[in-house]
Amino acid sequence: MSLSHEREDDLIQKLKETFPSDIKETNVIRRARLEVTVAPEKIKDVAVFLRDKLGFDHPNGVSAVDYNRENRFEIVYHISSIRIKEMRDLVLDLKESVPRNAPKVGSLVSVWSGVENYERESFEMFGIQFDGHPRLEKLFLTDNWDGPPPLRKDIRFPTD
Amino acid sequence: MSAPPKPVPLTTVESTETSDSGAQTLTLSVGPQHSGSGHMRLIVEVDGDIIVNVAPDPGYVHRGIEKIIELRNIIKSIPVIERPSIIDASNLNHAWVRSIEEIQGVEVPRRGQYLRTLLNEMNRIMSHLYWLSIYGVFLGHTTMFMWPLGDRELFIDLAEKLTGARITYSYLVPGGVRRDLPPGFAEEAVKRTEYFEKRLKEYDRIFFNNPLFTSRAKGIGVLSKEKAIELGCTGPTLRGSGVDADLRKDEPYAAYPELDFEVSTRPDGDSFSRAMVHMDEMRESCKIIRQIVKKIPTGPIRRKAPIVLPRGVAYGRVESARGECSFYLIGEGGDKPYRARYITGSYRNMAAIPAVLVGNRLADMPTAWWSIDYWPVEADR
Repeated sequence: MSLSHEREDDLIQKLKETFPSDIKETNVIRRARLEVTVAPEKIKDVAVFLRDKLGFDHPNGVSAVDYNRENRFEIVYHISSIRIKEMRDLVLDLKESVPRNAPKVGSLVSVWSGVENYERESFEMFGIQFDGHPRLEKLFLTDNWDGPPPLRKDIRFPTD
Repeated sequence: MSAPPKPVPLTTVESTETSDSGAQTLTLSVGPQHSGSGHMRLIVEVDGDIIVNVAPDPGYVHRGIEKIIELRNIIKSIPVIERPSIIDASNLNHAWVRSIEEIQGVEVPRRGQYLRTLLNEMNRIMSHLYWLSIYGVFLGHTTMFMWPLGDRELFIDLAEKLTGARITYSYLVPGGVRRDLPPGFAEEAVKRTEYFEKRLKEYDRIFFNNPLFTSRAKGIGVLSKEKAIELGCTGPTLRGSGVDADLRKDEPYAAYPELDFEVSTRPDGDSFSRAMVHMDEMRESCKIIRQIVKKIPTGPIRRKAPIVLPRGVAYGRVESARGECSFYLIGEGGDKPYRARYITGSYRNMAAIPAVLVGNRLADMPTAWWSIDYWPVEADR
């Protein structure tokens, strides 16, 4: 197994060439793990490109992170490829940032239908709105939950 | 005192409505009282006895584990992380310690890696046996309920010898494992896996080759390869649809690169295929266990790892019994993580539930649904 990041750098290069002004930041965490931060208004175009041209056909999950000190939420789509066998070890984190006081982004359910449940969870746990989501309702929380989104950083446990 | 909670509506859909064809449909609430194992509800809309729509309604066993982890020391979190699936505890634990070690930059000694793999594979068998026994219950096959639960004790006893606990071990810690092999373990493991392989043949005879099972499972709950990939399915559900994806091969970790085993796949994507993938995997796990006790290198089992999580990010994942279990872990230098996103195999396969059920008869629901091996507690976390 090679320790070079050739494959990862190559992917980043292709993304930068296609979306020169929309890729805000790229980072190779280690071999087979890379992060790509994009502008929220362009994430869908990048996602479609990743799926159709670079083979990322398999959604592994979606994480929301509350950076309350920086007053923003980060939404991270973890995606991988099944179609390209040599790339199955690779996980690409497609990231976008939204301001904490107006957390509204476009849904990627139309690109990867498998992200539906994860986006619903980010909606209920962080209060992030996903535009174009087919069923933006609570998933795990009870129907009568009327408290604040519980995974936000400013929500503490009573015992904490 | 806060106001008493408002009652939860039993159904979220109208009880009768008119479908596109003009026929009346009926909405049923299946669950949440142990519709299989663990509390979860499926809202099922039927036209006659054909399922036309399914909406999973999880959350009855949601514990907010992601929040709990954020407020605890990374070592103290280990028992909590094992809770969602106590029958597959060491695999979930493995994903957690892998993520931590990745940020810390700690290398696990080879003997430690082998011991981790050993318990992981024992857990895979135990988890699949539990799944099989519930499958027996679902299909009204009492023998197939009792045999796997009885044979599961073979491996529970082994795990107890190795770790000191029957079910939740907390055996894997950052840097390695807690205990070394006890004396006489290798002989016992070989004896038990060989006996178990004979039992698996009997399972085939009484259940998997039995028309009572095959006629109910073949062609039922079909999940196409394309759909399984697009929905992000994982583990036996994905492999049952003809995709040979297995992290033990695709992203070899622990001792797997040095072990010889096959990835089991079936092309049809029906309930029978998914069930047979589970059976094949138990056979392969027996092979792996015997290789480990034979090949295990000498040396230390654990390296010293700090109890703080340095600044950094990791996406650590392993192939658990129900598929990929992953942590997206963000450290900021303290002894607690800033964020620990916990995604389990069952949570990912939840997306497949409507896909396998719609179009089938209501009477086929247990066969199709349980073949996914959806564990509600693991999905809710």
